[in-house]
Amino acid sequence: MREPILMPSLSDTMESGHFIQWLKQPGDAVKKGEAVAEVESDKAIMDVEAFHDGYLAGPLVAEDTDLPVGAVLAYLVGRPEEVSETQAEKPSRTKQAASEKRPATENKSAASPETAVAVEKPATPSSSRPSSSNTTHVKASPYARGLARELGIDLSQLAPAADGSIHGRQVLAAALGRPEARLDDGPAYELQAMTPMQRAVANNMIAAAATPTFRTSARFALGPIRNLAKDKRFSLTLLLARACALTIQKHPRFNAAYTLQGLAQRQQVDVGIAVDVPNGLLTPVLRNVTEKPLNDLQEEWRLLKDRAMGKTPRHRLTPEDYRGATFYLSNLGMFSEVVHFDAVVPVGAAAILAVATVQDGVAEYTLSCDHRVVYGADAARFLHTLGEILDKPQTLLSGD
Amino acid sequence: MNNSVHYWQALNHALDQQMAADDSIVVLGEDVGLYGGSYRVTEGLYAKYGEWRLRDTPISEGSFTGMGVGAAMVGLRPVVEIMTINFALLALDALINMAAKVPFMSGGQFAMPLVVRVPGGVAKQLAAQHSQRLEQTLMNVPGLRIAVPATPQDAYWQLTQAIHSDEPIILLEHELLYFTQGPLDDSLEAPPMHRAEVCREGQDVTIVTYSRMRDLSLQAASKLAEGGIEAEVIDLRSLRPIDWDTCAASLEKTHRLLVVEEDSGFAGAGAEIIAGLTERCFAELDAQPQRVAGLELPIAYNARLEAASIPRLNDITTAAKTLCDV
Repeated sequence: MREPILMPSLSDTMESGHFIQWLKQPGDAVKKGEAVAEVESDKAIMDVEAFHDGYLAGPLVAEDTDLPVGAVLAYLVGRPEEVSETQAEKPSRTKQAASEKRPATENKSAASPETAVAVEKPATPSSSRPSSSNTTHVKASPYARGLARELGIDLSQLAPAADGSIHGRQVLAAALGRPEARLDDGPAYELQAMTPMQRAVANNMIAAAATPTFRTSARFALGPIRNLAKDKRFSLTLLLARACALTIQKHPRFNAAYTLQGLAQRQQVDVGIAVDVPNGLLTPVLRNVTEKPLNDLQEEWRLLKDRAMGKTPRHRLTPEDYRGATFYLSNLGMFSEVVHFDAVVPVGAAAILAVATVQDGVAEYTLSCDHRVVYGADAARFLHTLGEILDKPQTLLSGD
Repeated sequence: MNNSVHYWQALNHALDQQMAADDSIVVLGEDVGLYGGSYRVTEGLYAKYGEWRLRDTPISEGSFTGMGVGAAMVGLRPVVEIMTINFALLALDALINMAAKVPFMSGGQFAMPLVVRVPGGVAKQLAAQHSQRLEQTLMNVPGLRIAVPATPQDAYWQLTQAIHSDEPIILLEHELLYFTQGPLDDSLEAPPMHRAEVCREGQDVTIVTYSRMRDLSLQAASKLAEGGIEAEVIDLRSLRPIDWDTCAASLEKTHRLLVVEEDSGFAGAGAEIIAGLTERCFAELDAQPQRVAGLELPIAYNARLEAASIPRLNDITTAAKTLCDV
């Protein structure tokens, strides 16, 4: 056994550390987890622990030097005899090399991983572990290596995938500044491929995270609109969509989308409605909600919902069915525990209204808005108008 | 355009069209005349073109394949049918020593417009000696071209192209494909004979396959899609030469390679495909390439053992998932 002890990475930002001193001497028996040396990161002084039981063997790096993360500090060997073997090979090399190296490491930028470690390299050509550079310790696919080279990513800083190797996915995630969860830190796990829909939702949410958002809440009585829905046998969600649409008509800025060229003011009011489907989320869009008779909308909504739920396998929801709304509605009122929630504004929308459950006859309405399109007072006025409509829901029927 | 043509009918149609157009085309083989071919490929042609152009030969593969070589050397365009690839072992001298080498050794003085059609592969319980796949043996012979049509349209195109070619071409036809159906449009322009076909697009993993495994790989791709893995399926159509460009372009997209072959894997077509693509696309590979191949066994007569000896749907989906999981 001959395992290298490496300069540990003590923080996410650490690229090199200051090696302070050895706590053990060559030949000392070392237990797994025992401190063998002290190093200083940009934040603190920490112990370097042994990952195995064994005996400390040289060549040892010199004390009081700066070293890159991943540099070989010394070796752990399985038997005491192996210590003397390694020592005997180059008895004076370590000290000599260390004193030679010191001036070089004073200029930190000059000490590239290769040069710093190469000096410490044991002369044994049969050494079972390559140690010429810390990147050669890293297991990575050819594609990942190529990507890392092109994107200037240091592979040794990345957490490998489940198979212990770094793949293109990890490099790309690092390049995009979206580090993936460090899965090695927790218990064992099993990877489940995401369905195309789950992947699409994830991508949409990442895109939506770039939207500067604010939230405004109001409480309105749900009774009147719920009674109307019961009397006229309309879906409550549909009536809420219509209420939103009529409100948008009075506050047309809520029917605009932000673009670099300017605000895209839509000519008709379409409302996207979040639907909870198995393993995913869909937002079919009701078109022209202010102008169509409610009966037509009711039928359209029924068809869209059936398609979204996969009840009509031959007529799946197509992108035309769920794209292009500037306003969205998300209703969790059927979950009696949910007294408050807010929703993520989809890219291309001005706002999304989250409707929670009824408590003492009152439900909480939270409007999440794209602050590039509408401002706080706009949201307040919007909620005021919405409240008026919900108070006198008969206006929803006008025009029918 | 006919939407439901049997594979054997497509071959029959190609032969009929070409024989009608060119008197120098002759067919040689066992039972190709009066009987119409053991898989019906020459059905009706004997009546139409007569015994001089469809020769029923003795059961002697070495001699009638050799006769095909000689006929090609003196100006005919013979289409030799060897009843199964298992019997082609007796014709290897004619194929490897003669057909593949005469143009080279004669300094190009002799062309070799020879087509050899050979059914092969694992069919239904024909036992070890009648279930072989010998593409690996023939692929290693410079001078031969090997086409592996998997659809009626390709069977029609590639037999027609082979007849027109002055190079010796072996058509490996899978015995279970003869009675599969597919569209055939004889007015379509044929792609180059060796051009691989991307028969399903995807961005997660490239499945390179050929012959009967095309269909199984496509089924596997549909299954994988349910789990969110979009596989690109490439039907090579030709094993010598191999259309590296099409495969490489796909790997630049998916970075993952899975080869599906019915033949046993050791030193087989998959080995060449992986080696060839690793040489060309090493830097593109994000995971070690994988093979799903037949087991290193003679094929058993027992139906369940037989089925377990060659790739099944699950073998492909499992391998693809493993590749994509990392």
